[in-house]
Amino acid sequence: MAKNSSQTFVLTGATGFLGSHLMASLLRRGDRVVVLGRGSAAESLGARIDKLLAWFDLQARSGQIETAEVDLLKPLCGLDPDRYQALCTKSGQIIHCASDTRFSEQHRRESIATNVDSLGQIIEFAKNSNAPWFHYVSTAYAPGISSPYCPEAPVGSDRFVNVYEETKARAEQEVAARCTMHSLPFTIIRPSIVYGDSRSGRANRFNALYNHVKSLYYIREIYLNDLHDHGGHKSGAYGIYQDDTGVLHIPLRVAVAHRGHINLIPVDYFVSATLSILAHAKAGVYYHLTSDRPKTVEDLASYCESFLNIKGIEIVYGSIATADFNPPEALFKRFVEPYLPYLSETRTFARANTDAATAGLSPPEFTYDVFARCMDYAVRVNWGK
Amino acid sequence: MDEALKTARNCRHYAMCKIDFLGSGVCGSGSEKHYVSYYPQGRMDLYAALAEQKIPVTDKCVEIADSCDLCGKCDYQCCFVTEMRPSLVMKALKAHVANHIATGGLVEKATEDHLLREIRDIVGDEWATNDRAIAVTYAYDPCALAVPKMPDYVVLPRTREEISALLRLFKQHDIPWVVRANGTNLLGFHLCVGAVIDLNRMKEISFDENNWTVKIGPGVAAFDLQRAAVQRGYRVNVAEAAAMVCGSMMSSGILSLFSAAYGTSADNFVDAEFVAPDGSWFSLNEKNAPNLFAFSKSGRQTPGICTSLSAKLHPMTNDEAGVLVPFQSLVETLGFAGDCAARRIGLAIGVLGAEYVSAFIAPTRQLAADAREIFEKRLGMAYMVLVIGDKYALRSITDMGYPVIDQRLFTAISLGLPSLKSASWLDLITELSADEPFSYLKIRGFAELAETALAPSPARLAQETEPELRAFYEQLYARPEMTNLVWLNMFRITSTRIGRAKHFFPLLMYLPLEYPLISAMCAGFTRIGERYRLKHEFGFVTPVDGGKRCIYEYDYFYDQNDADDIARVQQATMEAGALIEEYSTREGTIRWLKYLLYQGYCRKENLLYA
Repeated sequence: MAKNSSQTFVLTGATGFLGSHLMASLLRRGDRVVVLGRGSAAESLGARIDKLLAWFDLQARSGQIETAEVDLLKPLCGLDPDRYQALCTKSGQIIHCASDTRFSEQHRRESIATNVDSLGQIIEFAKNSNAPWFHYVSTAYAPGISSPYCPEAPVGSDRFVNVYEETKARAEQEVAARCTMHSLPFTIIRPSIVYGDSRSGRANRFNALYNHVKSLYYIREIYLNDLHDHGGHKSGAYGIYQDDTGVLHIPLRVAVAHRGHINLIPVDYFVSATLSILAHAKAGVYYHLTSDRPKTVEDLASYCESFLNIKGIEIVYGSIATADFNPPEALFKRFVEPYLPYLSETRTFARANTDAATAGLSPPEFTYDVFARCMDYAVRVNWGK
Repeated sequence: MDEALKTARNCRHYAMCKIDFLGSGVCGSGSEKHYVSYYPQGRMDLYAALAEQKIPVTDKCVEIADSCDLCGKCDYQCCFVTEMRPSLVMKALKAHVANHIATGGLVEKATEDHLLREIRDIVGDEWATNDRAIAVTYAYDPCALAVPKMPDYVVLPRTREEISALLRLFKQHDIPWVVRANGTNLLGFHLCVGAVIDLNRMKEISFDENNWTVKIGPGVAAFDLQRAAVQRGYRVNVAEAAAMVCGSMMSSGILSLFSAAYGTSADNFVDAEFVAPDGSWFSLNEKNAPNLFAFSKSGRQTPGICTSLSAKLHPMTNDEAGVLVPFQSLVETLGFAGDCAARRIGLAIGVLGAEYVSAFIAPTRQLAADAREIFEKRLGMAYMVLVIGDKYALRSITDMGYPVIDQRLFTAISLGLPSLKSASWLDLITELSADEPFSYLKIRGFAELAETALAPSPARLAQETEPELRAFYEQLYARPEMTNLVWLNMFRITSTRIGRAKHFFPLLMYLPLEYPLISAMCAGFTRIGERYRLKHEFGFVTPVDGGKRCIYEYDYFYDQNDADDIARVQQATMEAGALIEEYSTREGTIRWLKYLLYQGYCRKENLLYA
């Protein structure tokens, strides 16, 4: 439903998962969106946005969008002065969603560039355009692992699970420092792990939670194929078989460090809560978009087994010697290894600021029905391929 | 154009029908008569000439047609390389000749002239001829730069003394001559209106194990020499399977991935004997011999005919294996190859483009195209470095942290190619390894997983080949060596598959193993290829001399029967040549292979650095 008084938002990261959903919601309610971003090797930014509008069935709203290909590591965001100035005059609240979400240490330099170094230019743009707000989309894990309790407050930790958490933490500090210096009101929005739309199951990115299921899905395909078409000799060697009811039994141990939870929120909640925060923002405040009813890794394993019609996933607390892995275990481990710490998360998250800003809006429980709806969609669209 | 003529005109002259590289035997008449005309390759040219009425039916023509018993061995061999079926041409040739005779057509008899008589007095009546049916099989070359020339005489000497006498005779009568060992030449240099001296009868192989050498005649092909050496536990550094070892040495100094360890040019032999153009003979170890160890940047005339070569034997160990190390970019690839060379890791090192890898491993054009799509596009393996070495060398590579396609996985991929295209899990492994490309290759048991997923089998692979050949290919691919990286690269029986779809013109040069230089030249060759609308591909790079220099090949592909294609590739090679000259002048460190012709016996140091 469009609002009567439309606003203008400047959005980065609009081609990503969270950014694209925010963009779609802003457009739906009648706001104008200035998208600052980059083209890919194959497509211009405009073409990427057009595809997203089609995915959201929002082609009719294209007139509410303006795109600008920028490089946030260059002066004037890589724009010529006239273009830069013109954008400044159109500006409104800034939502900085752009992020390098890779966990790998190998990409530390790129992660720092995207997540930290780029802040100078976008905040400078906010200042030059007299933006009324600067909203930074961070992560619930930016507070690090020094304490199991994460307050809705600036980062106090210097210990992190990976380079992503670390750079997001540094970014929060940069945002706070720079915005304060420029007297620019800011908020920090910290979502936990976001999956697709809990109502429709739709998603346009299939990372994080999806990686676990996708890995199991393909491992299952490989062994079913072996069993059905090639005599199942390879499967038999590892005790993999299909029973009379069609269930594939596949011994697959997953080692996690300790008992804990996986904190998931659906993208529809992320959008609703964020829009609410934007409407009721308080300067310098941190907001946690997290689940207060997180599931366990056992819950998730059970969901996967039901959805994929498999049995045999065993959660092991501690570690398993690499030499003891069977091939599907080794493959699964490699694929989900970066995400393993988030399967047994012991951090808890304060939510008072969020509850206040969102009138107690809560994410829906991550039930099997929600899980299956999202995974059905993922399979239907071949995991986005 | 009927199918037989089309096939005949597409013979690539790779001479693979002259060696028993599949263990399926060689055309019996060719082995007996030695003239290329009696091999399938020659019959292809002969049939094309007859069908296009370029020559009459002659005595030898009838004999050549009759000598084919339609055994079908050539189909196995040619199909393996080019997917062509020469037996179709063999049948058409026999039918053409039979029909000609049945309809009362004249069978011409070649007339012996005075010079032919003198030639025959030297080599024997059987080994010299001026029959057009034989001459025409030495008159053509699919190289775009070659101009067909019908020789007056074809001579097959047996000994150094005969060659000496022939050269004196030709000099006396001012008869131009060229020498060929396999009845072919890919660059079109060896066509001649005078006499063609075919050395195919000079096939001596004599081992001197005490001195780690093997003395060979100029008619010995790389495959045959390697087979003999391997039977005794040695390896030699040789070119493509059908290439004549002495001829390769003369024209390019032996280019192979093993040059990374064994060197090039004079590194590969201990001695060589020649008959000079005036008929005198010399050996390179003589104090007063011509200095063939020198290298002239401006090229050189032929020093004569090499009549024997004492090639070096190299030891092998029983733990040798091969790995392919994938990379996304050329800069990383060259860096790794150079690093291996500098650290003396590996016996053979080759940077291969996706086109090469795919062409080499796939038995059909379609599978090769699929494989390329998968390697390059889906898996992001734009380049691979092949390294062959002992277990210590290969362990070094994994210790360096590189993911590798090891022998077991290579076998699974090779025999599982038909399943690869439909393997949806490939997207998963690529996507989930984005943080560290190809890291899935480090997963313990990945090769076994690949075996499970691809269900590799000779029978399944053979299903992709022509129905009549499937039983043969199933047996063939059941042989372990057919997917063994060490064997395949020692015997080089799949190299010529690069020309399976179209003939190609290779641009070859020695230059420093430096990314900016190679990348810039590569970009230049690419631009030229694009401008002339030619398929063009990065070929390979092999480090030499500890990685101080390398051999680099870039290829242009063309239809050897398409005049427009030929005109464009001629222009392209001319421009590419100018580009090489420009870089050579500027850098002072580039040696275009064109100038190495007749100088392949030079010292590597003179070639690369002097």
